[in-house]
Amino acid sequence: MSLVAYTLAVFILATAVATALFRDVLSAIVVFGSYSLGMAILYTLLLAPDVAMTEAAIGAGVTTILLLLTIARTTRPTSEKIFERVNLPAVVVVSAFVLVLVSTVLGDMYAVGDPAAPVWANTEVTQYYIQHTYEDTGVQNAVTAVLAAYRGFDTFGEAVVVFAAGVAVLIVLKREVFA
Amino acid sequence: MTAELLDDIFLATAAIFVLLAIAMLYRAVAGPTTQDRVLAVNVLGTNTVVILALLAAGLGQPWFLDIALIYALLNFLMAVAISKFTVERGGVL
Repeated sequence: MSLVAYTLAVFILATAVATALFRDVLSAIVVFGSYSLGMAILYTLLLAPDVAMTEAAIGAGVTTILLLLTIARTTRPTSEKIFERVNLPAVVVVSAFVLVLVSTVLGDMYAVGDPAAPVWANTEVTQYYIQHTYEDTGVQNAVTAVLAAYRGFDTFGEAVVVFAAGVAVLIVLKREVFA
Repeated sequence: MTAELLDDIFLATAAIFVLLAIAMLYRAVAGPTTQDRVLAVNVLGTNTVVILALLAAGLGQPWFLDIALIYALLNFLMAVAISKFTVERGGVL
């Protein structure tokens, strides 16, 4: 598993850097699609099925179409160069900052399933969900059960908000997309 | 052949497929035309379905296949959208 995770990390890093550096917006959108492919596999590896499914649906479908709609309605600067020029001093400063951040924060992070992690501080609540989730909802993944069953109304409200936003965007765009 | 060895083979194959994805990324980045990039990302999507299926077998988590199915269903969307965008400029959906 770790072998897959490390090669995947290289893939995601490469796609992210390529997306950021492309001068042509259309190419950046296409390569950004492959970035979301890598992220979906990573979420799956980390056993987060709800996030992975959202990434699969949003990344492969919705984001590309929304971004394409955007550049269809604006102008796309064309140029001979493929990549943006990199500002080297800025790269040095940012990588130094990231290095400091990673070296200070990552060491203090708890491993997956560590009994000393803060999630176990309130053992009663944690244990309740672990013991009762399957009986209550019939969903094997506790996180998914909390999102879709225990907090079902909350998720329903989110869906309503997203639906309203979509309707508003369609009205603004004045296109009969579903005709 | 033991089950554990089989799982390791599945996981190693998945890692090789991720390496192939990195190789395919060269075509997606180098181009030279947008069509090359779209095809490369389409291949990457198919690759992702295979990787997820291999991980499902190797890690013994059958629900990985649900995500692989979503990808198999949605993979063509980007190619269709960008093809329409290139042919009739301005139309995406």
